[in-house]
Amino acid sequence: MTFHAPHIDYAGLSPVIALTAGICAVLVGGVFSARRQRLVVSVLSLTTVAVAAGLCIWQWGEREDLVAGALRLDELGLAGALIAILAAAVVIPLSWREPAAERPGSEPRHGEFQALLLSSVLGMVLLAQAQNLVVLFVSLELLSVPLYVLCGSAVRRTQSLESGLKYLIVGSLGSATLLYGLAFIYGGSGSTDFTTIRDAVGSGLTDDPLVLIGIALAATGLAFKISIAPFHQWTPDVYEGAPTPVTAFMAVATKAAAFCVFVRFFEVALGPAVDNWQPALAVLAAVSIVVGNIGALGQSSLKRLLGYSGVAQAGYMLVGIVCASALGVNALVFYLAAYTLMNLAAFAVIVVRERESGYGDGIKAFEGLGRDRPDLAWPLTIAMLALAGLPATAGFMGKLYLIEAAVDADYTWLGVAIAIGTMISLAYYLRVVAAVWMRPAAEPLAPEGAGMPAMAGGSPEADPLPSLAAATAAPRPGTRCLAILVPAWLMAGATIFFGVLPSPLVDWASHAGGALTPFLA
Amino acid sequence: MVQVAFFVGAIGATGGALAVIALRNPFYSVLALVVHLVSLAGLFLLLYAQFVAAAQVVVYAGAVMVLYVFVAAYVGAVEEPIWEPIPGQRFLAPLLAVALLVELTIAILGTGLTALDSEGPTVHAGFGTPAEIGNLLLERFLVVFEAASMLLLIAAVGAVVLAGRRTTPPTSSASRPGSAGSGSEVAAGPHAPTATSSLAPADPPSAAEQGG
Repeated sequence: MTFHAPHIDYAGLSPVIALTAGICAVLVGGVFSARRQRLVVSVLSLTTVAVAAGLCIWQWGEREDLVAGALRLDELGLAGALIAILAAAVVIPLSWREPAAERPGSEPRHGEFQALLLSSVLGMVLLAQAQNLVVLFVSLELLSVPLYVLCGSAVRRTQSLESGLKYLIVGSLGSATLLYGLAFIYGGSGSTDFTTIRDAVGSGLTDDPLVLIGIALAATGLAFKISIAPFHQWTPDVYEGAPTPVTAFMAVATKAAAFCVFVRFFEVALGPAVDNWQPALAVLAAVSIVVGNIGALGQSSLKRLLGYSGVAQAGYMLVGIVCASALGVNALVFYLAAYTLMNLAAFAVIVVRERESGYGDGIKAFEGLGRDRPDLAWPLTIAMLALAGLPATAGFMGKLYLIEAAVDADYTWLGVAIAIGTMISLAYYLRVVAAVWMRPAAEPLAPEGAGMPAMAGGSPEADPLPSLAAATAAPRPGTRCLAILVPAWLMAGATIFFGVLPSPLVDWASHAGGALTPFLA
Repeated sequence: MVQVAFFVGAIGATGGALAVIALRNPFYSVLALVVHLVSLAGLFLLLYAQFVAAAQVVVYAGAVMVLYVFVAAYVGAVEEPIWEPIPGQRFLAPLLAVALLVELTIAILGTGLTALDSEGPTVHAGFGTPAEIGNLLLERFLVVFEAASMLLLIAAVGAVVLAGRRTTPPTSSASRPGSAGSGSEVAAGPHAPTATSSLAPADPPSAAEQGG
């Protein structure tokens, strides 16, 4: 038996290598810097993120298989990677004053927090480029495991632990379903490589029951990850309970990476069986649009509202996959980028208000924001209007492209579903805008000063509460923090910019879609 | 002979899996899980996957199960009702499970059984040996191998984040003079043992020792 080392193109792998090295550096930096941990760790992780983004841009336009066909270097994968990296870059400043990382009264945990965040990004970069079933599964786990921990990382809040546990159980169920489906597809087609599966399925396996059930189970597993109804029940609870920066990251980055692999897996590997999965996914998309938009109507917590709105938006984006055309993939990538911009802007404002108002993320916390804090009110308003799809925002252009692609692929009724969903969604997005501009500010609640909640699941003997002096002496979570306001304004500005001048983003997205053109009709 | 081995393994695996969810005592469930995993290892052996079978026995039936047994024995029998009080779940869940079973059965009957009377796939000598798997891990699945090692590292970090409870409260107690100052001054010192100490959170004496 001889060993043939695979050819490794280090240039193509460089974003992955940079992220891996960065994770290790952040972990070590967190250990050896007690005093200025936040500064040291943040410099390290922001540098990592910047370097990885730079390497992705440097590799833009290359198309080749990496390391024995495990990964596919193309614009689609790099687009997913860039979106995940952008989300991490915005979320790192958001996490600076986060109690789960700052831990007033005890030693901070920025090193672990940011290392977990970066390793999730690493999983996303691998996932977006995966073109092998084994890589797909392992990178999906590498993406999910840090998120399970991050959701539960605020160990002094019961909701956070509940959110972590819920996400762990539901996420594992989704992973198990996906794995089951992948096993069936491997059993039917005899290969784990996307292109070989495509050849096998194309040569007479399109109606093979083994492959069909594999497709169904794999679609279910992926639908769990991107919270497509009816596999969405975990979404609002997990979004509400998790620390808000984690929610922001989870909402945008997971969707981007999972959609990239979804589209690659279905259009490339299962492309010949398109007639079998297309109607099923179309139904899922329609159900998701309806359930998400109706579920969001009655929510008073903004994080829950965005959770349900995420379900609906995932439904819109699934339309891009259903189309099975280059136009659909372009629209999907465009919408993913737009969705990232608008959601990050909204969540940045939620992070600030949650810390300063005392109403948490309830809609009361945002009443009268327009008069008191216009610097916060504008990004939130822009984000809400863009999510609702008003003209002159990137959300509008994204929906327009999706509807155009749906009509082009003879799925006009899905285009109509998007339009109807958008109309319903106006009701709850505008409710937030109305609360911001038209209501008087709610009486500020006194923050629950000295008392620090007991650690959920802990025992009083093992976990003594930090002394009152420590809790009060600890810095109050800051609010007028430029590190949050600047990204919020940048994201909101970009949302408007790409709504008025969409062509740069359209070109970018069509490069990403072009990577799949050989496999599309 | 092969048929006998297959049916022994298959019955053991199915029966063990059923017993895991049917038995009320968690301790017996864990033991049933051992039966299930060992039977699966036998099935792997029939599929020429010697290394996977051995790993299954050593890692799952051995190491992981010992952990489960310890936890089950430590926590003891749980008195909570087996059925979650979600309305409708009691009827809906078995219904959906049966639907899935029917679906899977149709799929497998539809294709898989065409190879029933054949001798199975022809595999070359050395298939499933550790050397072959090692080659695969370092050739075709190099990226996966590295990603899995990152995953293990991150899982360990995550366990520390969730289980690590060492707080360094700048206590005012005079019994530990200077602890408030030195606790934060010594930069690298207290950090190194954090990982080990936080894995044993229910051990207040060790935490107290480190603080002082």
